[in-house]
Amino acid sequence: MDSKHSSPATIPDHQPSTIEKLVAFLDERVGLKEMQAKMLNEPIPGGSRWAYVFGSILLFIFAMQALTGTLLMFYYVPTTDHAYDSTQYIIHDVDYGWFLLGYHFWGSSAMVVCVVAHMSQVFLWGAYKKPRELLWLVGLALFGIVITFGFTGYLLPWDQRAFWATTVGVEILDKTPVIGDFIARFLKGGPTPGQMTLSRFFVLHVMILPAALMALAGLHLFLFRVAAPAGPFSGTTEEIKAKTDYFFPRQIWKDMVGMAFVFAGICALALWEPVVLLDQAAPDPGEYHPEPEWYFLFYFQLLRLKIFAGEFGQFLGAVALPVAFMALLVALPFIDKDPERNIFKRPIALISWIAIMVFIVLFTIASVINREFLD
Amino acid sequence: MLQPKLKSKVRCTDLDIGEVSKVVLDPLSHEISHIVVSMNGNGERQVAMGHVQAVTEDLVQLGAPSHDILALPPFKREDYVTTHEVEISHLEDNIHVTPGEVLVPLPDLEKNVKRRTFFMNFTHVIGFLIGLPIAFPILRFLMKPMYADFDNQWLNVGNVSQIKKEDVGVQFEYKKKVKEVYMPEYEVEKNVWVVRATPELLEKVYQGKDEEFRDAKGKVLWTNKKEIPYIAFSGKCPHLGCAYKWRNHKALGPVFLCPCHLSIYSAGGNVLDGPAPRGLDALPLRVSAGGEVEIIDMEFKAGTKAQVRIV
Repeated sequence: MDSKHSSPATIPDHQPSTIEKLVAFLDERVGLKEMQAKMLNEPIPGGSRWAYVFGSILLFIFAMQALTGTLLMFYYVPTTDHAYDSTQYIIHDVDYGWFLLGYHFWGSSAMVVCVVAHMSQVFLWGAYKKPRELLWLVGLALFGIVITFGFTGYLLPWDQRAFWATTVGVEILDKTPVIGDFIARFLKGGPTPGQMTLSRFFVLHVMILPAALMALAGLHLFLFRVAAPAGPFSGTTEEIKAKTDYFFPRQIWKDMVGMAFVFAGICALALWEPVVLLDQAAPDPGEYHPEPEWYFLFYFQLLRLKIFAGEFGQFLGAVALPVAFMALLVALPFIDKDPERNIFKRPIALISWIAIMVFIVLFTIASVINREFLD
Repeated sequence: MLQPKLKSKVRCTDLDIGEVSKVVLDPLSHEISHIVVSMNGNGERQVAMGHVQAVTEDLVQLGAPSHDILALPPFKREDYVTTHEVEISHLEDNIHVTPGEVLVPLPDLEKNVKRRTFFMNFTHVIGFLIGLPIAFPILRFLMKPMYADFDNQWLNVGNVSQIKKEDVGVQFEYKKKVKEVYMPEYEVEKNVWVVRATPELLEKVYQGKDEEFRDAKGKVLWTNKKEIPYIAFSGKCPHLGCAYKWRNHKALGPVFLCPCHLSIYSAGGNVLDGPAPRGLDALPLRVSAGGEVEIIDMEFKAGTKAQVRIV
């Protein structure tokens, strides 16, 4: 769709094709062309950029997760006596089952990576500031949903890795004061992980979280369109205006290239690092050393620290620290009222972001190194 | 801000040159930047608002002579989109370019309606009344399997002949029958660690006192006597519920080590290092004359200083 006004003058002897008639029929009833124009003709202040591709990529990854996830449900059975076998069946017997499961598995990792990239971009660009506070808050809720997706999906294959990640994860939630015990039992559907846990995680993973994600992502997009893109953090109004273009075609093109890269990357991982299940879940792990998904490793390593020892230390590490961090992110646009968006003029923000990234990388590496000392 | 209206006459310093056919908005400031003048049959010209001196009800007064305006390049419609075709929020909020208000009549039934607030509140009350009776059943529905009575049956886990050395952790694997809600009864693999303790270790563990286990009502279920040399520890790490192992530690020697968060316990179950808030959980244990070890399978909440039984 270009930005030109549709000219009322048509060539007199041109007979509309069936498709043109169909489009005209729909347009008359739904206003398709106006809707399409509105969707594509959104000014990007300062012009399209590669840095802006992550939102679209996340939407793409979610669509692919929904597709592959729906396909997996054709064979997967969420019961303790069939979950493991049905997953093995998908991997070993169903045509391309290994690929679709692998895609879904690596897609979840890609989702976490892109969420962090997206949040970092918004943070570094200062795009959470007024008038985009609500956009940021809904984004944080979406971040929580993505993490919960990963956590609940991890249990479904019902292998040892699944069982222990859930056991420890729920024990962490159990440390919440007053309501911890209730939350843990509520999630597990009993005192220990079992069929009720699998059922609950399954319903969360395939019904509640997708619905919540779709609703909130819709709200996120709506708020984004109401507030309009923030644009670059430096440059005069005239410079920004001179470089401004519309969402279509340059930004959409960049988004598509980004999606193609992510798609190729996930396919490559599914191909070269196919999902291999461990033994079926059991409260006896044998020689297996429980470990969470790689993007939780830094936190896993953090909980090994001496300062988080003992009951109070555990409360600090398992509850207070993550809650305080999330609370800080929630409060961020309300604390940081300085309209300055240039990251190079916001030293605290820049240093904090670097510190967090360095911390995550170092602790992840530490946890990997620690593996060697366990046997 | 000047608000030139569509269809207004446009007058130059010398004569009328046409009427306002369109207005152009600045996408950043959201203000009118230009008017487009239909030049009485001589095409259209785009005139910057800087030329506009005054705007009255139906007249736009320009500060330039007509030949200046006529000399402007013709208006190029293809360089613009309508506000319906572009997504710029609040673009038209402070612009009033319509030739007048556009109105539709109120339906007869909506005229003079009293008690709008009452109706509004009543709607909320009914919504609440629908939600209230369903909330509790939903909660109870979901809570059904959350709390279960403790199973205090004795389970045979193996024979003490497996234990070759004293003060060494030996894993006893056993199968426990589980009946979960509607599911057919099935067996899960579990394990306990049993230690045959030397008198010195026993003294450290019991410190001269027998260990009592009570049921939910507080009645004594079983007492582990301090002179019985066998101790069984629940296989669950009291830190965050992982499964620990018996390992040789470089500095501490043979210990119980949890691979998750690196809690380390002595053969007697005391915390030597790492984040665990309490020592390993001893279970009720009895050994028959033939050396068969029986335990009551208990699990305790991880991460608390005090023992809180959950299974």
